[in-house]
Amino acid sequence: MIRYFFRALRAQLHGGLSLFALSLFGVSIGVAAVVSIQIINLNALSAFSGSMRAVSGGADVTIVGKMPSLSEDTYPRVLATPGVEAAWPLFRLDVVAEDLDFYLEVIGVDFFTPIDLPWEGASVDLSAALGEPGWVAVTPTLAREKGWELGDRLEVSVGTRKAELVIGAFSDFQKATPLASTRLAVMDIAQAQSLFGARGQLHQIDVKIFEDVDQGDVIAELERSLGTQVLVLTPEQREQQASDLLSAFRLNLTALSFISLFVGGFLVFSSTQASLVRRRTEFGLLRSLGATHRQVMGLLVGDVLLLGLLGVAVGMPLGYLAAEANVDRVSATVTNLYLLDAINQLEVPAWFFLLAAAVGLFSAGLGALMPALELGRKDTRALLAAFSLHERVGARAPRAFLLGVGLMFLGGILYWLVGDRWRPAGFIQAFLLIAAVPLVTPLLVQGATGLLRVRSFGLAYGMKGLGKQLQTTSVAIAALAVAVSMVVGVTTMVASFRETLAIWIEATVQADVYVSTPAWRRSRRRAVLDASVIEVLARHPAVEQVDRLRQFFAYTNGRRFSFAGVDARAPGEKTRFALLEGEMLGAELGGIMVGEPLARKEHLSVGDDLVIDGPKGPVALPIKGIYYDYSSELGSAFTHLETMAKHFGDGPVNSVALYLEQGVDSEHVVDELKTSLADVPLTIRSNRRIREQALLVFDQTFAITRLLRYMSLLIAVTGVALTLIVLARERSAELALYRALGATRLQIFRVFLGKGLGMALIGIVLGSLAGVVFAFILIYVVNRAFFGWTIFVHWPIGLLVQQSLVILGASVLASLYPARVASRVPATELRREDL
Amino acid sequence: MEPVLEFKNVSKHYPQPSTGVLKALDDVSFSIQTGRTLAITGRSGSGKSTLLHLAAGIDVPSAGTVSFVGRDLGELSDRDRTLIRRDGVGLVFQFFYLLPHLTVWENVSLPAWIASDAGMEERGRDLLERVGLTAHASQEASKLSGGEMQRVAICRALLRKPRLLLADEPTGNLDDGNSEIVMDLLMKLVDEEEGTLLYVTHSDEQAAQADERLALHSGKLGPA
Repeated sequence: MIRYFFRALRAQLHGGLSLFALSLFGVSIGVAAVVSIQIINLNALSAFSGSMRAVSGGADVTIVGKMPSLSEDTYPRVLATPGVEAAWPLFRLDVVAEDLDFYLEVIGVDFFTPIDLPWEGASVDLSAALGEPGWVAVTPTLAREKGWELGDRLEVSVGTRKAELVIGAFSDFQKATPLASTRLAVMDIAQAQSLFGARGQLHQIDVKIFEDVDQGDVIAELERSLGTQVLVLTPEQREQQASDLLSAFRLNLTALSFISLFVGGFLVFSSTQASLVRRRTEFGLLRSLGATHRQVMGLLVGDVLLLGLLGVAVGMPLGYLAAEANVDRVSATVTNLYLLDAINQLEVPAWFFLLAAAVGLFSAGLGALMPALELGRKDTRALLAAFSLHERVGARAPRAFLLGVGLMFLGGILYWLVGDRWRPAGFIQAFLLIAAVPLVTPLLVQGATGLLRVRSFGLAYGMKGLGKQLQTTSVAIAALAVAVSMVVGVTTMVASFRETLAIWIEATVQADVYVSTPAWRRSRRRAVLDASVIEVLARHPAVEQVDRLRQFFAYTNGRRFSFAGVDARAPGEKTRFALLEGEMLGAELGGIMVGEPLARKEHLSVGDDLVIDGPKGPVALPIKGIYYDYSSELGSAFTHLETMAKHFGDGPVNSVALYLEQGVDSEHVVDELKTSLADVPLTIRSNRRIREQALLVFDQTFAITRLLRYMSLLIAVTGVALTLIVLARERSAELALYRALGATRLQIFRVFLGKGLGMALIGIVLGSLAGVVFAFILIYVVNRAFFGWTIFVHWPIGLLVQQSLVILGASVLASLYPARVASRVPATELRREDL
Repeated sequence: MEPVLEFKNVSKHYPQPSTGVLKALDDVSFSIQTGRTLAITGRSGSGKSTLLHLAAGIDVPSAGTVSFVGRDLGELSDRDRTLIRRDGVGLVFQFFYLLPHLTVWENVSLPAWIASDAGMEERGRDLLERVGLTAHASQEASKLSGGEMQRVAICRALLRKPRLLLADEPTGNLDDGNSEIVMDLLMKLVDEEEGTLLYVTHSDEQAAQADERLALHSGKLGPA
């Protein structure tokens, strides 16, 4: 039978190469979509994990501060803790170098502690490292990239503070941990603290625990003795923290990529079904010659396995290329929104190939499941005749429709019961919707084509035929509808989000000029504005009012969030935050405003207390209001600067907003300020510029979803071509009859174009309807549950119409080749069994 | 008077891997005048179907000429032959070839749709009434019996009043009772329409109903 399999395969490929190629294309793109996203997801944390292992590889636990700073006093307390074999302090800081977009991750270390640094070249002169001001070791990769050599000087800044670094050595972190960030730079801890104005401050303390001591006991003891101001984390916990940070982003991308695979599965279904229809006589003959059911099934499974394996073989490199082409966009999101390390390189572990193979084979297997079950029925030959299959699907259409409606109803009930309170609910609802689409498709196709009144043999005749060839057409239409629903849903969600963000920016970005520092984006609290700079800004004749903002990361209930202090009594503050609930902070000190994402994640309402870990213990601040907040997924809160100072100590300001006199050209003021403060590293942006940049970051974040949408559509449009080729082959006798009755080739060509057009139209209408529901699920359930954002629905009608026209055009284009194939069927092809 | 269909020394050869060439038709000549019926008998493989394919312009001869109302089909393009078939020829097949997903009415209307001939509704209803299938007009063709299917196929073939009706074993797939009914109906309708009919059959009894009859033996045509 194996010999027969290969002989039959050769014949099949010879006779139906285009069909096989299209199926392969569909599976490959589906696999590529999943593979590309999984590679990106896999590597999104790789630089973070790599850098962590490179710097803290020898540590059993790491102690990090919850407060704005971790005092050096903590270090001797750690060393004195029973069970601690060694401990070494680290000072970490992201500094901006050369231009605004380039940063270095400076690690200040004590060279006399047991930290193992992978020096490159001759032994490093530690006396220079300790004695030469600004001495720093950078990675050889970065040095090559930037053309740096030993002795080169480099100006960097943190906040308004500038410092000069000297390349003193190369430290090849990638040799030890290949995925470590190339931007790591090492210098003496005391030098780093001094250079960047953070004497006595640490970022973390790495701890080595004696082997014969219970690690859990030591961690408990450290937590007890150091109090709530610190977190004691194992490397796994730190990795998990970063992973949790990205989890929603990664999960949503994964879910979208699986829709492409799902759509690809439809293509396998179509081609397997077509293969069965085509080979029913062959299978019947094999059975009559004594082949067992299992042997015949084996032939089919063999075909599907081959398709799946080839799909993986093509999809894997395709997915890698797609990942490579899009890694920068995701990397920008990872660094901009989550403040993690950029993805330097893509690594694909060996197990990933197995996963991809499993995904491809599973999708191919799932697509072939139903047709394979058909084989198990009695009287294979008659049951698999194209017409009886179509008839059966037609007869089952009402029941399938009810089942589909039932699934959607179930989704509705789930929303009614749990809303956005249960995270998986959104995915379950999306799954129910996507499962319902193929179920409601046959009846809707029947209904829509039934309404057509045919008066001639052309486009309308072709469209009407769709309702009569349901077994083949409904699958492709459903696939297209699922893809369109994803396009419409995600496009609407992204457009709604963008519009919401634009309105929010419009309402909240009210000051005329915003001033921060280049390091602000990554270093936050350490990127401070010198008081003298604020004075210069305030003295500008056009400046009417200066709003100050101090920000650092704080912890509430174990959750890290962005905590800000503002001049809440300043006039501009009334509109600076768009309120969702409650009221704005008034003159009275002590209250706090909480951003929506944090409020949702912590289930907080107006009147509750936000309990923040403070230097002297928990600080409970009553929540006065909840505001819309789209600045970060982490969550945020703000209070009066005075309240912040009272509980967390005095601290410098990180950014200011300037209100100008009426009628003053803000761009002009920006230019003047840039000139007068030319030697200070500042980011001075006008109101207009900051709005543009916010939307630019937004577009960058969602760029990856565009790739997924288009991949899914590509598969679906391929499905249209595949289905029409199947129809042209399956219905060759019918086409021959048309020719015998006097239909010209052009007429048959038009009939097939009509089929393609009809499939696209029904797919687009059905997909758009499902897309509306999908958009609601994304906006009201998934986004709220995972990110905590309220998004106001905005229908990008123009964009949706444009996309629909593109899909329609693509479907018609995809119909051209099958239409040509169909039009070339001669009248002599009439055979009884096919009609 | 010019014949509707004329075969002049027509041969049709198919290349064969083993024997070199298969002579499906060998030097066949005959003609049929307007309003006449001609039956051609012959056993399976005698070349009957090939003859009908050539007559309908579905295929072209290897040698000789096939003329439809004076036009040499072999000289025409595929498109022109198709248009002749559409406007001048009606076809009835042994296996009916009704489209199972269309209703009886839609099957009958198909030639009019193909020709974008909008004025055929009344004619279609009339034909269905004449074959006794008015009640089945909106029924799917696949639900009909064999005899009923062939009656629908005859209506379809006659819809656009073709100059020539070609029938390939029109009762070959029916039982005796239905065969008789269908054949009688076909002859009656052709007579009423004053049509021209060429049909092939293996039944001498049915062949006897024609005005003229010829026989095909291994591709050669001779008297029955």
